[in-house]
Amino acid sequence: MDYDPMIMDTEAMGPSVKITEAGSHHVDFELQTVDLAFANSLRRVILAEVPTMAIDLVEIEANTSVLADEFITHRLGLIPLVSKNVDDVVYSRDCDCEQYCELCSVTLTLHARCTGDEIMKVYARDLVVAPLRPNQWVGNPVITDPEALGTVICKLRKGQELRMKCIAKKGIAKEHAKWAPTSAVGFEYDPHNKLRHTTLWYEEDPAKEWIKSKYAEWEEPQQEGEPFDFDAVPDKFYFEVESVGNLEPDAIIQQGIKVLQQKLAAVIQDLTEGDANGNGLNGGYDGPRSPDIAPAWQDQGYTTPYGNGGQASAWGGGAATPYGATPYGQNGANGWN
Amino acid sequence: MAPAKTKKSAKVVASQEEDITMDDAPVAPQEHEDEEGEEVAGEDQAPPEDEDTLEQRITVLPGGTEQAASFQLKEEDHTLGNALRYIIMKNPDVEFCGYSIPHPSEALMNIRIQTYDGTAKDALSKGLDDLMDLCDVVAGKFQIARDGYMNSEAGKADQPEA
Repeated sequence: MDYDPMIMDTEAMGPSVKITEAGSHHVDFELQTVDLAFANSLRRVILAEVPTMAIDLVEIEANTSVLADEFITHRLGLIPLVSKNVDDVVYSRDCDCEQYCELCSVTLTLHARCTGDEIMKVYARDLVVAPLRPNQWVGNPVITDPEALGTVICKLRKGQELRMKCIAKKGIAKEHAKWAPTSAVGFEYDPHNKLRHTTLWYEEDPAKEWIKSKYAEWEEPQQEGEPFDFDAVPDKFYFEVESVGNLEPDAIIQQGIKVLQQKLAAVIQDLTEGDANGNGLNGGYDGPRSPDIAPAWQDQGYTTPYGNGGQASAWGGGAATPYGATPYGQNGANGWN
Repeated sequence: MAPAKTKKSAKVVASQEEDITMDDAPVAPQEHEDEEGEEVAGEDQAPPEDEDTLEQRITVLPGGTEQAASFQLKEEDHTLGNALRYIIMKNPDVEFCGYSIPHPSEALMNIRIQTYDGTAKDALSKGLDDLMDLCDVVAGKFQIARDGYMNSEAGKADQPEA
C-alpha cells in the first residue's frame, strides 16, 4: 500500500479547532482535518451521551391542581437542572444505596398553595433544593429569564395545592430526552455541495432557489465547468452547539470527547482483560445464531422431514466453519482462505 | 421420490468427504471446542470475579481466523462503529474493515477486520488506541481554541458576567 506524500503532509498537521462565536449558551466552532466519521461521532455523543441531571422520580403528597399527577411529573422531568461538575454524582444504578441517596441524587421539594383570588403560577424557582447533594451546583433549576422565575410548572386556583418531593438523578439523553445537554447541535460541511452528498431539489436552478448557508462564503464555490472530484472527502465541519443551560457549552464538548474516550477505554479494557484470564474475548458467543450454525461437527444436525438426513441443514450446510453454513449459501469454505 | 432422496444424501456424503480432505477443515471446529472447554473452566475457577467485573462487552464471532475476524460489541452503535471503522482502515496493515448493526432493536455492533499483516485483534486494539489519541488531540485543540477565544476581544465581549 503506497502513500501519497501530499496526503501525509496535510495529515501531519493534525486536526484543528477554530471557535467562531461563543456565548453563555452557545458555541460555534469549525473542526478541521478530521474525517466525517469522527466529526459525526462527536456530534452524536454531544447530542445523546453527555450526562446531565434531571428529575426522575416524583413522590406526590398532594395534587389538587387541574393537572393530573403524571402530567406534572412529566413537566418536572423536563425542567433543566444545573449539571456543573456532574461527574461528582454517581449513577443511581451504580450506587450502593437501596433506592437513592445524596451521592446519586438531588432532592427538590415543591410546596405551593394558592390562597389569593388571583390565579397563581408555580415556577421552577419554587423548587427547593435539599442541602445534602454531591456538589454545590448540581440540581439547581436553570433560570435564565430576567425576572428569575424559570419555567412554569403549573397554575393554581384558590385553594389548590401542590406538595411533592422530586428526586433528580444523573442520566443521558439516549435514555430520555430530558437529560439532553443541548437543545440543538448544528452540524454542517461542504456548504456548496461540491461533494454531492445531497441532492438539492429545484425547479429551474438550485443555485438561485436555495439560500446559501452562512458558511458558503468561507469556502471556495464550485467553478464553472469544474469537473467533479471523485476522491474529495469533507474536511471542514461547522458545529453550532446550543446549550439548554445545564452545562456550559465548552463543558458539553469536553464532556462529549470524554464520553467517547470512556467508550473506547471500556472496549480496550475488555479486550485486554479478556486476554489475561483466558475467557472473555474468545469466550462463548451467546448471541443469536441461525439454527444450522449450532456446531455441525458435534451433533448430527437435525433431520428434516424431507429426508436429507445427517447434518445437512435447510440451507445445505455440512459446514467446515460455523460461518460456512450461513443462509448466504457459501457451502463450507468460508471465503477468506 | 426415493431416487431423489438417495441422490441428495449421496451429495451430502460427498460434500462431507470434501470437507474432511481439506487440510484445515477439522482444525477450526476442534479449536473452538477447546476454547469452549477453557471458558467453562475459567468460569468455574473465578465466579466472584465475574460478578465484580462487568459482563464481557466484546466477543469474537465464530468463524474467524487470526487475520480475519469479526468482533461483536454490546451497547455500541454508529457513534463508535463508524469512527473506529475509519481509523482501523487507516492502518496500512489492514486489508478491510467494516461495521454493521445487525438489527436496529438490538444494541449490538459487529465489526469485521481483515489484515495483511498482524492479527485482527491487534488491528482492533491499535484502532482503539489511535482513536483515543485523536480524541486527546481534538480535546486539546478545543481547549486551546477556547482559551484563545476567551482572551480575544470577541470573547470578552461575549462574556458580560463571569
